[in-house]
Amino acid sequence: MKLSFLRLSLWLYLALFFAYLLGPLVIMSITAFNSPSFPRMTPWECLTFQWFGALFHDERILNGIKNSLIVGAGTVVLSVAMGLAAALMLTQIWPKMRTSFYTLIIAPILIPGVVLGISTLVFWDRVARMLGMEPGGFLSNGIFLTIIGQSTFIASYCMLVLVARLQRYDVSLTEAALDLGATHAQAFRKIMLPFMRPAIASAAVLAFLASFENYNTTTFTFGEYPTLTIELAQKVRYGITPAISALAFIIVALTVFAALANEANIRRKQLAGGASATVSSKKSGLQLPRLLSGNPAAILLVLVAITVITVVGTAMTYSPQECVADVRAAKQLKAREAIEALRAAREAREPVPEAPAQAPQSEGGNSSFGGVFNPTNLGGETAPEPEQPKAKTGFGGVFDPTNLGTGD
Amino acid sequence: MPRFLTEFFKRNGILMGGLMLGLVLFWTIGLIILPQLSMLDFSFRPNLPPPEMGGPRDVYTLENYRHLVFGPEGASAAYNYIDLGVFFRTIVAAICITIFNLILCYPIAYYLGQSRGNHVRIFALMLIIPYWINEILRAFALRIIFGQTGVLNTLLVGLGIFDTPYDFIRNDIALYAGLGYAYILLMIFPIYNVIESLDRNQIEAARDMGASWLRIHRRVVIPYAKPGISSGCTMVFMLSAGALAAPQILGGPSSLWFTQIIYQWFNDNSNWPQGAAYAVVLLVTCILLVMAAMRLFKVNMGDIGK
Repeated sequence: MKLSFLRLSLWLYLALFFAYLLGPLVIMSITAFNSPSFPRMTPWECLTFQWFGALFHDERILNGIKNSLIVGAGTVVLSVAMGLAAALMLTQIWPKMRTSFYTLIIAPILIPGVVLGISTLVFWDRVARMLGMEPGGFLSNGIFLTIIGQSTFIASYCMLVLVARLQRYDVSLTEAALDLGATHAQAFRKIMLPFMRPAIASAAVLAFLASFENYNTTTFTFGEYPTLTIELAQKVRYGITPAISALAFIIVALTVFAALANEANIRRKQLAGGASATVSSKKSGLQLPRLLSGNPAAILLVLVAITVITVVGTAMTYSPQECVADVRAAKQLKAREAIEALRAAREAREPVPEAPAQAPQSEGGNSSFGGVFNPTNLGGETAPEPEQPKAKTGFGGVFDPTNLGTGD
Repeated sequence: MPRFLTEFFKRNGILMGGLMLGLVLFWTIGLIILPQLSMLDFSFRPNLPPPEMGGPRDVYTLENYRHLVFGPEGASAAYNYIDLGVFFRTIVAAICITIFNLILCYPIAYYLGQSRGNHVRIFALMLIIPYWINEILRAFALRIIFGQTGVLNTLLVGLGIFDTPYDFIRNDIALYAGLGYAYILLMIFPIYNVIESLDRNQIEAARDMGASWLRIHRRVVIPYAKPGISSGCTMVFMLSAGALAAPQILGGPSSLWFTQIIYQWFNDNSNWPQGAAYAVVLLVTCILLVMAAMRLFKVNMGDIGK
């Protein structure tokens, strides 16, 4: 009894936790399809794809993506190279110095990104001045500074990933290659690199993602080359639109897709590893159904792909114009009702029967509420208390067109 | 050439050894040590236009640090209450966020570390996916939720809990939720990694001997997971104290984060030495706090990042 209670509360806790973790992303993705120009989920107005169109026509976003890709590529190369060198060094350095060296190369992860950005900016500015370079030269170029600044700490991530793999490396393999007459470069390229390849690949992916989403360091170093994250931050700080939600939706979809693809791949290898060694021949289309069985990630992957295709297909043919027009009409109707209610309230306050003020009552069909808000409806000509409606409407009667007339 | 260098080159070859050494030296000295020293040096200098740098007026001064403590020359207040207030608020808030994250994440990490099966992989995937989304977009998502007309306010007003929408952004609740949200993964993974390697028999044994559920955690699991817990806490504390994006997007209009003041010195006021001095203060305070906490809980620096 006690155990089942514990279990229940555990599942509840997990559910709440993942709601906190994933809920914001889901809600943000949904707002990309709602038509109001401020991103919101409630009230739901119209399904629309216009924000994706707005996104793809935004010069600054596209330029930001280009800069991000350049910076990302540079950072991947530099930080994987430095991380690998440091990881190799860590296995060779004599034990007394190992702790201090490790502390030094792990420190950039802990240094606030803001501090890294500032120190990079200040230092290279000084180097440029010492070399007598013009301001705006290569050393103060935004892309160069951003790559340098980001690599400072991203190389630490790479180092951690690479060291984990390197610990399982058998040094005698390299020694054997050297004994058989290989040069050091050959031994590295033919023995060490193939062994390290999976770790290098994951380090590169990690480095690219870290570079792509970095804000704190980049915000000091970007100069004239704002990356996508910088552009997004500018947009989010000075007025948000659902176009950002649309971009977020694309990124979320890509991430989920990549994660599922990776998961399915791992699972496939596990399944294939259990069966036989000839993995590549089993990849043919005919085997696919069997491949899917017992591979939930692959099934999900297919589902996601189908969903995306459906959504894009709908986006091509669907037009939200009618719905948008409906919503606008509904809003106008609501506004008009409000005006009428105010007018009625005003009439009640000054019970002078005027011909134009009676008009809405006779129209009737104009508002769905008929004339229920009109107090005269209830009591005919009996004069209602003037105090009550006055307190109800904060605007007094300023919206009332007759207000102007009585002033004369 | 010293002996260790010759040995190093003999072991790796001239080309590979040179490349390795060059990259490591570039990273450690050129990217880590020199820039930090340069920033420290810069923070002691007056704010001069470039032509005057290195000139007679370019002398070391404590002016930038004095400004943080006592405010500008001739200010009416005895201390710089605004900046100091923001500074202490940032540090205290970062500590609170760290504790909140630890309490939130420990059960999850323990559960994931101790259970076996396919669902653990799926949970891990669900944990990683938000972390791959841009930091700005995560903050943006929370802003949609916490806004005046956001989902949460609609829900709360709809349920009748509040009469009028509650301003989560002005009251900084959105900011704290956002900072906690941003670094959940960095808390879970170190703890998860350690707890995963904990032998379940130890827990079984403790339970067989009649230890209560609370006691098992206090005497067996937590001491074992200490390196993971400390490394998670260190990362979350440092990152939230140094966060810039979340305070800029989710912070209330009247409250600042210390990094935002640094940012203002650099970008709006163009006073780099002043900004560098503030950055040095932030960095040194954070490092001292982390080292004090490590001494208190008896953890080594080498355990971080494992």
